[in-house]
Amino acid sequence: MRFRVRHITHYKYASRVSHCYNLANVIPRDTERQRCLKNRITVSPTPSVTQKRTDYFGNKSFHFEIQKPHTELIITADSEIQIDDLDQALDLDLGESYGHALELLAGTTSRATLEAREFLLNSPMIETSEALADYARPSFSAERSLKSCVQDLTTRVFTDFAYDPGFSTIATPLADVLAHRRGVCQDFAHLQVGCLRSMGIPAKYVSGYIETLPKPGEKKLVGADATHAWVAYFCPEEGWVEFDPTNNTIAKSQHIVTAFGRDYLDVTPVKGVIFGGGAAPILEVSVDVSRLTENAPVLGQPGG
Amino acid sequence: MSHPSPSPVLSQGQNQGQPGIPAPAAYQVPAGTVDDVHAADGSIKPQWSYLLNSLQDLGPRLLTEREEKIRRILRDDGATYNLYGQDDSPGNAWELDAVPYIIGSEDWARIEAGLLERAELFNLILRDFYGPRTLLRHGALPPEALFSHSGFLRACQGIQLPGEHELILHAVDMVRRADGTMCVLSDRTQAPSGAGYVLENRTVMSRVFPSIYRESHVHRIASFYQRLRLKLTSLSPTDDLPCIALLTHGGQDESRFEYAYLANYLGLPLVQSGDLVVRNGFLWMKSLDGLTRVDVLLRRVDDLLCDPVELRSDSRRGVPGLLEVIRNGRVVVVNPLGSGVLENPILLKYLPEISRSLLGREPRLASVKTYWCGDASDLQFVTANIQQLIIKPVYRGSGLVSVWGGDLSAEQQAALLASIKKNPSQFVGQDRVEKTHLPTFTNGSLQPRPAILRTYSVATDSSYMVMPGGMTRIGNEPGGRVISMQSGSPSKDTWVTATEPERFIQSEATPDALRGDMDTGQISLPSRVVENLYWMGRYAERAEAGLRLLRTVFVLLNGEEPITIEARRILLQAVTKVTGTQPGFLNAPDALLASPDQELLLVIQDSGRVGSVKSTLNSMLASAEESKELLSTDTLRVINDLHDELDGLEAALAGGLASAPEEALDPLVTGLVALSGLMQESMVRSVGWRFMELGKRVERAEQIITTLGILTTPVAGEADRSTLLMALLTTMDVVITYRRRSRQRAGIELALDLVMLDPSNPRSLLFQLERLQQHLTELPGMITGNSALEEEERALLAAVSRLKLARLPQVLEITDGKRPAMDMLLKELDQLLLDFNTLISDKHFDHRTDVQQSLVANFGGAN
Repeated sequence: MRFRVRHITHYKYASRVSHCYNLANVIPRDTERQRCLKNRITVSPTPSVTQKRTDYFGNKSFHFEIQKPHTELIITADSEIQIDDLDQALDLDLGESYGHALELLAGTTSRATLEAREFLLNSPMIETSEALADYARPSFSAERSLKSCVQDLTTRVFTDFAYDPGFSTIATPLADVLAHRRGVCQDFAHLQVGCLRSMGIPAKYVSGYIETLPKPGEKKLVGADATHAWVAYFCPEEGWVEFDPTNNTIAKSQHIVTAFGRDYLDVTPVKGVIFGGGAAPILEVSVDVSRLTENAPVLGQPGG
Repeated sequence: MSHPSPSPVLSQGQNQGQPGIPAPAAYQVPAGTVDDVHAADGSIKPQWSYLLNSLQDLGPRLLTEREEKIRRILRDDGATYNLYGQDDSPGNAWELDAVPYIIGSEDWARIEAGLLERAELFNLILRDFYGPRTLLRHGALPPEALFSHSGFLRACQGIQLPGEHELILHAVDMVRRADGTMCVLSDRTQAPSGAGYVLENRTVMSRVFPSIYRESHVHRIASFYQRLRLKLTSLSPTDDLPCIALLTHGGQDESRFEYAYLANYLGLPLVQSGDLVVRNGFLWMKSLDGLTRVDVLLRRVDDLLCDPVELRSDSRRGVPGLLEVIRNGRVVVVNPLGSGVLENPILLKYLPEISRSLLGREPRLASVKTYWCGDASDLQFVTANIQQLIIKPVYRGSGLVSVWGGDLSAEQQAALLASIKKNPSQFVGQDRVEKTHLPTFTNGSLQPRPAILRTYSVATDSSYMVMPGGMTRIGNEPGGRVISMQSGSPSKDTWVTATEPERFIQSEATPDALRGDMDTGQISLPSRVVENLYWMGRYAERAEAGLRLLRTVFVLLNGEEPITIEARRILLQAVTKVTGTQPGFLNAPDALLASPDQELLLVIQDSGRVGSVKSTLNSMLASAEESKELLSTDTLRVINDLHDELDGLEAALAGGLASAPEEALDPLVTGLVALSGLMQESMVRSVGWRFMELGKRVERAEQIITTLGILTTPVAGEADRSTLLMALLTTMDVVITYRRRSRQRAGIELALDLVMLDPSNPRSLLFQLERLQQHLTELPGMITGNSALEEEERALLAAVSRLKLARLPQVLEITDGKRPAMDMLLKELDQLLLDFNTLISDKHFDHRTDVQQSLVANFGGAN
């Protein structure tokens, strides 16, 4: 499957910004199931310096510095991504059991396992806790396959938590999300990562996009026309597997990965420091995901 | 070489008869105290015998005198250390014990070899952590030990310095154990502090004990700083003469003295984050000549704070975009960002394995036994033995402090254990190492005190160089557990004594020769420093003007001749206006004019009131602090005196203003006059000096205008005229000239001629304006002889012309009891000066815009 994504980040400032420094994570990375074929970023006003690099997590970072006074900043990222239909949704009952996975994690010295242990630890926005473990525990048993445990947890997060864009901000603590059972995709992803880590399973935060075009007979997926977030967990024999708690599904060919991190702070789409700008800057983000076919491109839903 | 003298070295013999000063008790060490001086058989170890014999020869009286001399030199040099939690204090005096720590050269050779190896080892660890991380893959270190440490900055992955080494500076805190071997307590790899104090300690000791120092053949430390300077230069990404700057936190830094001292010694500009800016992919310093490219940054700021874009976003001490400039190899920061990960004490537990993996052998230098609570069996041990262990957070910036389990109550222990169990990977337990005691001159005698030694290594082209000696700190009590600069522990100079005289290296300059006015135009100055010099000049002048007027007013108010209420009003209002402490006496009721003491006292000593003498002087001292590295030793001494006088002001005025209050102000005036004299006589005529002068002249001109305005524009009654005239002449310091010239002319016209128009009177208005014109032509970026004048030149020219063209008799004409022409003239001049000040500030000083974090997107269509 091939997609075209247009991701526009638009800042409006009350007063002049004299100069600014930014770091954007808006270039889809390559993963086992996807390749970024093309990417072009245009920034207005024109930056004095731009630089692309690969970060610690293997994500593509885009740095830019603007030295022109401005009251609006527009970052447009156009990408084309090829996604292989690596079906992650194999039989849930096969594979490593949860109990065995824990043993392997503690005892294996393979490079992948040692490196995955980084994602068991607390990260700036996610702290493991007894409360998270308590919530997760009913989905886990030592004999059950790990994948089936995680699928069950994903379904429970989907069922138990209300999608409520008005409830949370990026600063809402995990404990509040757990207590009030509501939030947005980012909160659900953080919550599920926290649950998995609390149960001893390494878990990553995945930031990306989701295809918004509903297929005939299927429901329109939530998270449309915006950046999206989901989780990946690690199983020593099986590697990293992605689940989307907001849509109660294993990540399929409609999930386009931008970046992996420990949590949102590692993969924030655009962050930076501005000089000036005044109070209450306005930020608008729009995302368009459209499917490309051999013949004619299918138009996606308008962003915003 | 050995001096077997088993008896106590400092006997009470020859000095016993000295009156007043107690003879030093012999250096005796209580049983059970581990001590560095005595061998097992009770004899004095050879390296100590010369020193102790010499101290004995000096005797307690002379030693006490020398101790006092040490204190005085440190104070004159402005050596302070700001204790934690006392941010508003002007700084605590740095304490240096009169007895150095002696380390024999053979002993030192062993320590040095261990330190060289350790620096190499830590360098390899750093390179591995931000590179391939093979130590984790080979099992030398559990991944959690690295990944859970807050000092591991993922953003720094892959950054490499030019040359062999990533770790440029490595400091090690160690203690000597009972068996004589050294044991490392911790490593400092961010921005090790203390190397500047070591230099100061050495300078002071060699001055106070010249012959003992000379005869002891002490290894010199100057080459360490030369190596550092060389290394910094070699790291520069350009072939041109590199610009190397020292990045500090700014005024509130705990060891700002040290940084200013070090910057001076190394010849580096001292900068703060606001002095630096990233532009077009390079790092620049905002200097008077515009932007100057910075090639190498020696940092005193913790790495996590260095770039709010990628590291801690709330940091105000960093430079936005710095990390990206580093990554692209366009600036080198020393120590590199991310090096704080090496301060992780968990490494001490795994160091033998790490060393085997990287060097093929175990390290020579032992480290303190460390238990990591992230390891199940260690956690069990810590839980069971918490009373015998020091519990440390693994990350120093965590806000937690180390505690000795034995000091805790049962509840506190339980609470600590609970927080450890919640986050075991964040804590270690360490054995307490019994510290060896050193002789210390305390209260007139030699007393044993426990000691810690901090050593410093710097990378060279192919290896490391260890500073011979280091920073020794001693406990305040025998056996004391807490020894650190932060807790105010006194320091000692550390002497590594050579068995044979050291070769003298030609290029070594003495610290004193380097300690002078650095601002010779060789290095670019941050515009912040220049702005501070400008304000230092202004505040000094403002304080002096206020003090002079206050003195005059006191004398007149308490004078032999009674003065009218009208004259009183004018004089007191002059005080309010000149000091800028409105409303004060403006529109004051007669009652306040009749008993003005309360308000006058506030005008002098209320530091909370803007414009008061104390507040103005505090501002002056704060400006001086910001540009300290440019001030000469003599200037610093005068500044210290002003500090002291200011501290003593309240006491001097405790009795109110009843009796000769002007006396209490005299020392401050004298101090300010000395400062102004030093500005004239001791400062190189550099850009910095010009700005200090500009500030001073602008301020003085404004003060003259203000004083003239209030004393001459209302026309006083006949009785008051001479009072106010005297006030004017006294304040402007022209009484004598006036008397001499008054044979031909007298009255207000002569006075105004002297105060306004006389170009030979250094206190006249015209003199100030003409000086300003001169300085202006010398400023950077000014093109002289250009037909088009710069705006600031125009303002000055207009003021000078207006003044010179004024005819005094016309200016003094009286209409309705006022002098409207005079009033108009002064107002015009005032406005022109104001314009001048604004133009200068806009052109040369940095004006920062507010900084904020970009808004971050909320997910899930919530925008």
